[in-house]
Order: sequence, then C-alpha cells, then structure tokens
Amino acid sequence: MSAGQRPVELILARSLLATLSTPSFLVDEEGIVVFFNDAASVLLGVRYEEIGRMGPEQWGTAFGPLDRSGQPVPLEELPLTIALRRGHPSHARLRIRSVQGVESEIEAAAVPILTVQRTHGAMVFFWQVDER
Amino acid sequence: MKIWGARGSVPSPGPETVRYGGNTSCVQVTLSDGTLLALDAGTGIRSMGLALAEKERRINILLTHLHMDHIQGLMFFAPAFDPTSEIVIWGPEAPDASLRDRIARYISAPLSPVEVRELPCHVSFNEAPHTEWEIGPATIRAASVTHRGPTLGYRITEGDASLCYIPDHEPSLGADLAVDGDEWISGVELARGATVLMHDGQYTSDEYSQRVGWGHSRLSDALLFARRVEAQRLVVFHHDPLHSDDFLDVFHGSAVERWSDLGGAATELEFATERRELLVDRAPPSGRSS
Repeated sequence: MSAGQRPVELILARSLLATLSTPSFLVDEEGIVVFFNDAASVLLGVRYEEIGRMGPEQWGTAFGPLDRSGQPVPLEELPLTIALRRGHPSHARLRIRSVQGVESEIEAAAVPILTVQRTHGAMVFFWQVDER
Repeated sequence: MKIWGARGSVPSPGPETVRYGGNTSCVQVTLSDGTLLALDAGTGIRSMGLALAEKERRINILLTHLHMDHIQGLMFFAPAFDPTSEIVIWGPEAPDASLRDRIARYISAPLSPVEVRELPCHVSFNEAPHTEWEIGPATIRAASVTHRGPTLGYRITEGDASLCYIPDHEPSLGADLAVDGDEWISGVELARGATVLMHDGQYTSDEYSQRVGWGHSRLSDALLFARRVEAQRLVVFHHDPLHSDDFLDVFHGSAVERWSDLGGAATELEFATERRELLVDRAPPSGRSS
C-alpha cells in the first residue's frame, strides 16, 4: 500500500477500538501509535486528537511505561514490541504515567494484527489494577 | 468494457428487473490488444462466455472475493469446458486454503457435478500479488477493501485510462467519509483519480441503517467516496435484488440530485445496466447500448 491509506486491517481495528470502553490503543507495523480510544485517554490524561501519532520514544517519554520500581521498561520487553516483532500475543503488568504525572498500575495485553503476508500492527488493551 | 451482470447478492430475474438486469457481478474488459479480462464470475459470465468468439480463448478472471454472487457463473462459463481455452483466475489470498482449494469448495460435489480437476480447459489459479502486475498491455493493481472476508478491489490501467472496480465495499464502516483523513478510508488509494469507478451502491440510507457491517455501501456513501477520490465517472453497481427497475429509476434520480450537490455533473454518473458498453478513455467516456 502506498503512502496515505492504512491497510484495511488497521482501518477496521481502529473502528473496533473506537467503539470499546476497554482502554486500548493501536500501533502500526513500526510501533507508531496511530490511535487510542477515549477510555485510554482517561488514564493517559489526554485525547488522541490532542497529541496525534507518536513513535515509541515519544510515548515512552510521555507515558512510561515503568516497572514496579519506577524504572522505564526497555522497549523490547513491552508487550506491543513482542507482539510486533514475534507475532504473538503478550501480556505484562506495568505502570504508566499520565501527562499530568499521575501514575497507574495496569495490566496490558498486546495482540498482533496479522494477515497472510505480514504483521500490519498491533492492538494493545489495558486496564487499571488494584495496587493493594 | 461491457457489463454482463450488475446485480448484487443473488440473481434476480423477472419482469421487474429486465432493464437493469438480474445477473450477478461480471464485467468484461477488452484491452487495446484484444486481451480479455472478466471482473468477477457471477451469473453474468455465462452470457459473456456464450458471446465470445471462437478465437477468444485466453481469459483472465479477476475475482474480488468468493461469495456466491461473484463465482456462481464459473460452472456455466462456456470457455471452461473448451479444451482449447486457457483461463487464469486471480483472487484474494486467505490463511486457511489456497485460492484453488477455496473455489473447489463450490466446483465439487455435492454443489457441482464436476470437479475443478475435470474442467477441460487449461485453468490456473493465482493469489493476487501485493504489487502491481501486467496482463497484456494493462497494469493491474489489487488492494484489500472493507467487506466480509478477504476481498479485493482492482484497478486496471492502460495508458492514461484506468478502471477501478470495487463492487462490494463498505468504506464508511467505522469511518466518516466526510471527516476522516484519507489514511482511514478503505479503497481511497486504489480509486484515486480513476477514469471510471465502478462501486457498490446497494442500499438506500434507510436500508443501510439496518445492514451496517454487511459489507455494502449506501448510495450516498458511494457518491461521497467517488467525489472524494475524484473519479472521473462513477458507475453505481451491485444493485440490491429487491430493487426493481422502477425503483432504480427513482433511486438514480435521487443520486443525480445528491451528485450535483457534491459538485458532480449528471453525465459523470450512471447506474450499471446489463449489456451496457463503455469505452474507458481519459476523454469523457462514451457509452453505447447493445
């Protein structure tokens, strides 16, 4: 697909995520966040339309993710990176930080978007967990 | 090009559909050197096969997908039963089986009295490439579009003229055609600037409200999509089996009004009619009925 239009699988995934109340975001095959839904914006403290697409370094700086000791989680260990690079679902418990600086502990599950020929991206679902 | 079937979903013969036709999707494209393409193999391809001259025995069939209204005519395509014919079938890939094996689910018992391997013609099956490829003097491009199951649209380009064929398509599923950027609209890249765009326009707005997600367009979305991609001419295709000739006449009238509101000229819009022939040229296409 030439520049401009996304693969139809990403178009349909975005449609699904936009209708869900499960916090979730969508990354393309290069790991660039191309959408997150309103439920995710509650935890992130900002709407997607306010910040637009972000590369891994950008969202790493903006939102963490952090481990339980507050250290940044290496990119290659994140569920979405595993989903993109290895082509299988991945799950982890992480901490994220909203743009207002509020940290939340979350469970995150990433699912690759595969077609016959390649990986087009991944969907990441997450939810806040009770820290007790 | 010649339209041999413009109906969607299921063949709809009868006195109420004689003008627009009751055969399902099939469009014959004849390239400048005589190379023959068939876009889909709905029941319309039966008439196409009967009309071909003896010498026209090498045919490429481009299937958008394998729903019955797009393959049902394969079993009744005369060249398939001629040992001098060479038929190349292109279609979408799927994770579960090859194109050949998926088509064989139809051309096999108990649905068919013959098996694919028994067809007398020389037939081959190719999953459509993800890059452009050549057939005769034309460049062919396929792209996945929003519909139920693996589905392609095709663009056939020869010289500076292009025909884009997307008969089953729901570009507004999860997207707002009036607001969202091009990156989120299915089919935009394939159809952009086409000389002729043949596009799904099956439903009225009322019908669509009850059929969201079925994989088809309401007419207003087909018009908006065509204007958005700046197609030179729109041929509304895949008529609903419940839509009679009289209904389609009225539907066409409403389309012309809406098309005009969107800045289009009435001469750039038509509803597909069986046996209709169109010369696809960069100049305003000329039409003739046969």
